Amino acid sequence: MRELRFDKTLYEGTQVDAALEVFGRYGTFERAEEADAWIVRIESGSKARERRLAGEIGNYALGLTMKSRRGASS
Amino acid sequence: MGEPLQGIPASLVAVDLREGAVELKVDPTLYPLDAVYGASFTFIDRCFVFLDRDGERIRVTLSAKDRTVGEDVLHALIGEFANELLACAWRAKITETNRATIEAVTMQAIGGAMGPPSLDELEDFDFSEEPFEDPLGIAQSWEDKYGKKGESAPADAKPKPTESDET
Amino acid sequence: MSARVDLLSMGPPGELHHDHAAPFRMRRLPGGKILLTSLAGRWAVLTPDEFARFTRNELDEPLKQRLADANLLRDHFDVPAEAKMFRARRAFVGAGPNLHILVVTLRCNTTCVYCHASRANMDAVHTDMSPDTATECVDFVLKSTNPAITIEFQGGEPLVAFDTMKHVVATAHERNARLGKELEFTLVSNLSLMDEEKLAWLIENRVQICTSLDGPPDLHDAIRKLPKAYGASGHDLAVQWTRRINQRYRELGLDETLYNVEALVTTTRGLLPRWKELVDTYVGLGCRALFLRPLDPFGFADKTSGRIDYPGDAYLDYYRAAVDYMIELNKQGVEILERYAAIFLTKILHGVDPNFLDIRQPAGAGIGQLAYNYDGTIFTCDEGRMLHEMGDDTFRLGHVSTSAYRDIVGHDTVRALVIAGQLQGQPDCVDCTYQPYCGIPPVHSHKTQGTLLGRMRESTLCQVHKGIQDYLFEKLGSGDPETLAILDRWTTHRPREHFVHAPRWE
Repeated sequence: MRELRFDKTLYEGTQVDAALEVFGRYGTFERAEEADAWIVRIESGSKARERRLAGEIGNYALGLTMKSRRGASS
Repeated sequence: MGEPLQGIPASLVAVDLREGAVELKVDPTLYPLDAVYGASFTFIDRCFVFLDRDGERIRVTLSAKDRTVGEDVLHALIGEFANELLACAWRAKITETNRATIEAVTMQAIGGAMGPPSLDELEDFDFSEEPFEDPLGIAQSWEDKYGKKGESAPADAKPKPTESDET
Repeated sequence: MSARVDLLSMGPPGELHHDHAAPFRMRRLPGGKILLTSLAGRWAVLTPDEFARFTRNELDEPLKQRLADANLLRDHFDVPAEAKMFRARRAFVGAGPNLHILVVTLRCNTTCVYCHASRANMDAVHTDMSPDTATECVDFVLKSTNPAITIEFQGGEPLVAFDTMKHVVATAHERNARLGKELEFTLVSNLSLMDEEKLAWLIENRVQICTSLDGPPDLHDAIRKLPKAYGASGHDLAVQWTRRINQRYRELGLDETLYNVEALVTTTRGLLPRWKELVDTYVGLGCRALFLRPLDPFGFADKTSGRIDYPGDAYLDYYRAAVDYMIELNKQGVEILERYAAIFLTKILHGVDPNFLDIRQPAGAGIGQLAYNYDGTIFTCDEGRMLHEMGDDTFRLGHVSTSAYRDIVGHDTVRALVIAGQLQGQPDCVDCTYQPYCGIPPVHSHKTQGTLLGRMRESTLCQVHKGIQDYLFEKLGSGDPETLAILDRWTTHRPREHFVHAPRWE
C-alpha cells in the first residue's frame, strides 16, 4: 500500500481522476477526500510496482493539471 | 525524508536515499506557482515529481525513476531543479515585459510559413464549435427577422432566435 | 577575466551618471576593453578610461560621436534607425521553410564515431526512401510559401540511393513548372561512392556538393571508418573527389574562388591540438572556407562523447588559435575564411542576418527548414529527425502522405520552438551584449538540458557562441586596419547563381 496526497491548490481533482482512470488496470485504488487534499491509496502487488505506479500517476496528474490551468489562463 | 544534502541548507533540501528521492521547499512569494509547474515539467522524463504544501511553502519531491541512484545524482537533480526554477521565474517576468515583440515575431513567422488557407481548407473549416453570437439578429435576413414582404410583423417584433441560441 | 564590468571601480557612486545614456548592454572583453551594444545591435568598444568617462558623462567630441553613431546616447537616439535594424535582423521571418532535408536512405558505407544521423548498415535496404515517398516529399516541399527552395540530400550516404536523388530532381522540376519557384539541390556525401557517371549527372543537373573532412588523414580515418574493400581510405577518397569536382567546375569556366566543394569539419577531441594541420589541409585542398563546427550531442555522439567530446573552453582555445592562423594566412594572400566568424561578422558589421538557421532568432526549425525521413515522416529539422532515431519523437510533425502543409508549419511544436527561439524571452540572453547577433536552436537545449527554453548559463553552445563573439570583438576593437579589412571581406556574400535553377515555366 502506498499513499499519494494531491493538495487541492496544486492539483485539479478531475485531472487526478483522469490519471487514475488511465492507470486503472495496473493496480487498485482507494480514494479519500480531506479538507485540503485528495488522497489515493495504491495497491499493486509489490513495493517496487507501487512506487512506479504512484510516480506515473503523479506525473500524469501534474501534466494534466498544468495543461488544464494553462488553457484556462490563455 | 530527513537527511540533509551536503552543501545545501537542510531547511531547504532533504534527501531519502532509500526511496531515491530528494525534496526542495520553495517559497511561493519568490517563485510563482507557474514557475514551479514549468520547472517540474522539465523533469518528468527523468523523475516522478510530486508537489505538496508544507505550511507556507511548496514542497517539490523529485523521485528518481531509478530508485538505486546515489546521493550525487540526487544532489545534481535538485541543484538543476533549483536553477530551472529560477530560470522559469525570471522568464515569466521578461516574457511579460517583451510580450508584444515576441508575439509579433511569432505571428509573422508562423503566419508567413503557413500562408493563406486554400479554398479547400476554408471549405473544410469547422465553424460549428464556436457558435456565432448574434443577439441582435444582425446575421439574419430581413425576411427571417421580420417575416416575408406582405406579412405583417408584430408590433413588438424581435429577432428570431439564432441557431446558437437554441444550442 | 570575468566578463562583468565593475561599475564601482569606475569611480564613487555619486559621480556615476546615467541620464545621458540610451539603453545599452555591456561586457568586458578578454583583453580588458568594454563592449557596449544598443538594443538592435549597434556597438562600440571602449577602453576602460573611455568607459569611465562615459559613466561620468565626461565625453569629448570624438567619443561622443562614436557613442552617438552606435545609438548609445539618449539625446541622439534614432528610434526609426533602431527599429529598422531590428526588422532587418529578422528579415527572414515570414518567408516559410527554404531548406528541405531529404534523408533518401539511412544506409551508409562509413561508420563515424560521432554519427549524428544514426546510420544503418548497407544491407538495411528497408531504410531506402521509395520512389512514391520521394514523389510525395517533393509535392510537400513545393507547398512551402518560400519562393526559393533548397532540397538537401542527406543520409546515411545519399549516393547509396542515387536513383532516388535523380527521381527527386526530375520530379521537382516537373512539379515546379507550374509553381515557378527557384530551386537548388545540395548533396551531402562522404564521396567514397562517387564515380564519373554520377559526377557527370550531378554536374549536368547543377547539384551542389558538400563533403566532410574531419582533419588530417590519420584522424579523419580514425573517426570516419571506411571498410578496406574500397581500396583507399575515406580521407583519400574525399580529397581525390573534391579535387576532381573542383577541376570539373574549372573546366566549365566557373569562378574557382566561388565554385568548389564545400568541406565541413566536425571537431573531435583529437583535433583540438591539431588546428594548424586542419587549416593547412583545407587550404591545400583549395577550400576558401572552413567551418569549425563543435561536436553536436545527437546520434552516436551521445554514447561516444566520453572519447571524443571536450569542455567548451578547450574548444575556444582551438578556435582562437585556428582563426588567428587563418587571419595570418590571409595577410599572406591566402583566402580562407572561418564560417562561424563570417556568420557573426555579417550580423555585427552590417546589421543584417545571413539566415544561418541555427544562429538566428527565432531559429529555423519548422519555419526555415523541415526534414523528411526515408519513410516520409516529417520533422522540424534534421536534429529533430536524429532525436527520433534515438527514441525521442518530440520534433515529429506528421507524414507526407497524411499531413496538410499548413498543419505541419502551424503545428504546436513549431509554435513552441518559435517562441523558445527568441532570446528576448530568455533569462541571461535578455541582458546579454550579444543578444542581437546570437541564436540558440531549442532542439539543442532540449537534448542537453531537457527543456526547449534552455538555461544559457549552463549551455556549452552558449559558451561557444559567447567565446567566439568575444574573440571577434577583441579583433574588431584592436583597430588593426589589415585585420579589420580581412574580417570585413569574410562577410562578402556572393551568391552561387550557377546552382540556382530558375523556374522552367510550362
